[in-house]
Amino acid sequence: MAEMVTRSLVAAVSLESVEAVYDLLGSWWDELGDVAPRTRFAFETAVVEIAGNIVEHSVAAQGADGRHFTLALQGDARLLRATFQDDAQPAELDLSAVTMADADSEDGRGLALALASVDTLEYRYENGRNIWSLECRRE
Amino acid sequence: MLDLDIDVRENGRVVRPHGRLTMVSARPFRERVTEEIAAASGAPVVVDLSDVAFIDSSGLGALVACLKTARQGGGDLRLAAPSEQVTMVLGLTNLDRVLRPRASVQEALDG
Repeated sequence: MAEMVTRSLVAAVSLESVEAVYDLLGSWWDELGDVAPRTRFAFETAVVEIAGNIVEHSVAAQGADGRHFTLALQGDARLLRATFQDDAQPAELDLSAVTMADADSEDGRGLALALASVDTLEYRYENGRNIWSLECRRE
Repeated sequence: MLDLDIDVRENGRVVRPHGRLTMVSARPFRERVTEEIAAASGAPVVVDLSDVAFIDSSGLGALVACLKTARQGGGDLRLAAPSEQVTMVLGLTNLDRVLRPRASVQEALDG
């Protein structure tokens, strides 16, 4: 398969949108065809974690009313890529300092799990927007 | 929202959620399982994950919270039959060491 398969979504910053992200991934996988299960699960896990992080961060920072985020998915025979953008306050985080929470912690695993799942996870704040880029190479 | 079946056995209770265990469903899941832990009065509660295709960090947090509640009450929480994604996520977060999933519900009930 040589061509690029794309999907995109504009969604309100809300819990329900995390489900919409999962559903979007579902239709993308269907068209991408034969992705190794481990690659698929890992990418899906990271994308859903970042969606959850955007929702949590917006709600905690200034309320999510009226706010939206976008998600663009791009995949071909070599690479899977997801890009999130939102206009909430800067996330102010250093991904290189993220570590996995202890076994008895009830939270604090999301970003560490996303980092462990994909080949590349990058965050930047640019032109008033938070931008998250995730990449997984297909085996 | 996540549906949940409850099966009361002689040697414990089996909770079988259906669907995805994510930040959308983690809180109601935790509340329901906490009720079952109380009703089990120290007997083990098994979470049968065979119909949970996907879990995120909020779902993991709910399982850790339920494990702590169960142990504080003198009982236990055991996982059974995790899917491939759930197994992967338990491994990446090192939670497979504390939540130690069993291959089947029967194995989990037997301890």
